[in-house]
Amino acid sequence: MPITVVRSLEKELILKTKDFLLTMQEFFIFSMRAFFTLPKIKRYWRDFLDQATICGTDSIPIVLVSAISIGSLLAIEVGNLLEEFGAKTMLGRSTSISVIRELGPLLMGLMLSARFGSRNGAELGAMKISEQIDALRAFGTDPVAKLVMPRLAAALIMFIPLTALSDFAGLQSAALLAEHYHRLDPGIFWNSVYPRLAPKDFVVGFLKAPVFAIIITLVSSYNGFIAKGGTAGVGRATIKGIVVSSGLVLIANFYVSKIVLENM
Amino acid sequence: MIELRNITLKYGEREILKNVSLTIKDNTIKAILGPSGVGKSTILKLMLGLIKPNGGQVFVDGTDITNMKETELYPIRRKMGMVFQGNALFDSMSISQNLGFFLRENLQLPEAEVQERVAEQIKFSGLEGYEDQLPENLSGGMRKRVAIGRALIFKPHMILFDEPTAGLDPVSSKRILNLISELQQSSNLGAVIVTHIIDDVFSIADHAAVLYKGEIIFDDETEKLHKSEHPFIRSILSDKILEL
Repeated sequence: MPITVVRSLEKELILKTKDFLLTMQEFFIFSMRAFFTLPKIKRYWRDFLDQATICGTDSIPIVLVSAISIGSLLAIEVGNLLEEFGAKTMLGRSTSISVIRELGPLLMGLMLSARFGSRNGAELGAMKISEQIDALRAFGTDPVAKLVMPRLAAALIMFIPLTALSDFAGLQSAALLAEHYHRLDPGIFWNSVYPRLAPKDFVVGFLKAPVFAIIITLVSSYNGFIAKGGTAGVGRATIKGIVVSSGLVLIANFYVSKIVLENM
Repeated sequence: MIELRNITLKYGEREILKNVSLTIKDNTIKAILGPSGVGKSTILKLMLGLIKPNGGQVFVDGTDITNMKETELYPIRRKMGMVFQGNALFDSMSISQNLGFFLRENLQLPEAEVQERVAEQIKFSGLEGYEDQLPENLSGGMRKRVAIGRALIFKPHMILFDEPTAGLDPVSSKRILNLISELQQSSNLGAVIVTHIIDDVFSIADHAAVLYKGEIIFDDETEKLHKSEHPFIRSILSDKILEL
């Protein structure tokens, strides 16, 4: 009996590994196709503009809310800590590094994973279930070029200004809190920010934007493309897209910081 | 002409199609009959190269498309029109946008010609006055006619119908079948109709193939179905609709 159980577990493990490797292979091919169709952007410029509005302009409120929230919280908590050491004048420096390098882009990535990623997963999943993606293929249109490439191009372009906006809003809210909560002169706050920010701080932050754009768009779109099992399947695909892309955003956030900071 | 040669197809461990061979000649209507879930729609997807078989070959006008790349398949697919079971209309587009979509997308025709062809299909499908409506605002029969119009707008050689009358009321079903018949006579089109409704087969198909447990158990002129001694065919002839 135990031998039978071990064998069935072994068989299951082999099947799951095989499935995982096949999925990875499919995802890689899907991603390559999305990149290789980028030169067709001129043909799909209307789709690109639609997606740029969705992931760019329409995402501004959620990016602002998350940036203001994280900037304010950092100013309060870090300010309290620095006050204990009599180093409150360093608040601008510590807040700006956290916002520009790490928390600004990370929170923006997670918010966009939830907002833009869920939209991609649900929309493309519904199109897959209702055979609209098969219809595109059946009539000779490349669904990756038509549906995924404009999303990828839009995210690659729009995530950069969103990061800048997120950094700006985060720092402004931190400066406001520093002035009104910690009674720190704005001049002292900004004086500890500007002269000390190095190019690598911006490189780390802004490099994360295209990396997150690629992860969020491709993972969520791929999950939409392979959705099956009716409306419940669309739900599963959407959730999987958000969970996987959020996890990958967190991992990528760590490695981008590590690689850039170690090499600059 | 479309030809399937010794096709086998598996989904995981389950064998859907076992050594299936079929030929669909131009200018004829062939029905593929069988119970739900037996793999009839899969045959249409194989003909379009939307899925690859595990074994066997698919030929379209003499060209082996079995292992063609996706991009190589696009011009082949444009020779055929497909009417999906759920219509697969683009739900965010109006009827006229749905009809003209692939002309603009794939052929890049001048806008005047696109408009002309769209108007032609609107008239043929009896959808005048509904040009600007979204698919969700139309009845099932009307949506089916839009899907047929979209498949015809390319002027294909062959048109593939996946359960064209499923879920329609008797009047709409009759209208769709008449439309297909009229189409075949006026445009000399070939057609493949996948269905589980035997009356539809006798109404319009010249030839019929019966798919049962992954195998073709009958492939001949429709009228010869009556002479078949196969127990499954005898049972469907008496039951008329397959709900297995």
